[in-house]
Amino acid sequence: MDPNAADKTFPPYEFHVERGKIREFADAIGDPNPVYRDPAYAAKQGFAGIPAPPTLLRTFLYEPRAAADALAVKDWSYIVHGEQEFEYFAPTVAGDVLTAQDRIVSVTEKESRRAGKLQIAVIETTFHNQRGEKVQIARRTLVETGKRISE
Amino acid sequence: MTTNRPTFETINTGDAPLPLVCGPLTRTQFVRYAGASHDFNPNHHDEVYAVANGNKAVFGMGMLAGGYCARLLTDWLGDGSLQRLRIRFASRFWPGDVLTCTARVVGKREADGKGLVDCEFSAVNQDGRAVIRGDATAALRR
Repeated sequence: MDPNAADKTFPPYEFHVERGKIREFADAIGDPNPVYRDPAYAAKQGFAGIPAPPTLLRTFLYEPRAAADALAVKDWSYIVHGEQEFEYFAPTVAGDVLTAQDRIVSVTEKESRRAGKLQIAVIETTFHNQRGEKVQIARRTLVETGKRISE
Repeated sequence: MTTNRPTFETINTGDAPLPLVCGPLTRTQFVRYAGASHDFNPNHHDEVYAVANGNKAVFGMGMLAGGYCARLLTDWLGDGSLQRLRIRFASRFWPGDVLTCTARVVGKREADGKGLVDCEFSAVNQDGRAVIRGDATAALRR
């Protein structure tokens, strides 16, 4: 990975948080909670709409490639998703239009006895809703190993 | 979805919800999560590719196990209660595995007028091996 990619910020992109996607996601993680399906139930819980499950927004980060491309990874089969973090500032609900912006926080190196030289990149995505409120920050840590990690 | 949710007053360090058991997991569940989450890394849905890549089969997405643990936390502490969630990926999991998700309170504090609880959680397979580990902070009603 290119250490010079650190501190780069990328153009913002927009996406819609749809009710059908929330339900599909809740089904896929086997969560039967009516809050993800029934607007009346969600309203009773104090939400302005059907809320996004806590890990949903990661879903919108696979397609935008600018930050990942800036890391100039030689072989993605050596890349491990080490860690994923979310900070929540306000609820995201169905119907929201979010604007996301990626920033590469850091690219660092570490020596590991098990996997050789490691390079560790942290990509941070900040999400604002259609009212300009910051709703979430997602941080993913990508690790490039010097050799393939076996079990 | 528990009706007897803990409040900031009633919850204590060491408290834990009933474990959430997921599985035995199927390839269909991995494919369903691939579609729902847009994670189309072929190691998770294309057995031919995964095996040629040195894996014994397709393996589950760490974020799928993360979704299971997030569900454990929201069922326990309440929808919308999470302030922060961090998932660390520890090892792979496979079709047929049974994951047990557990969590516990490791601290309780007040900040910015909110009653916060800090938790640790993990999902382990049927051999007791951690698949993911993580920590979270939730704001509880008083």
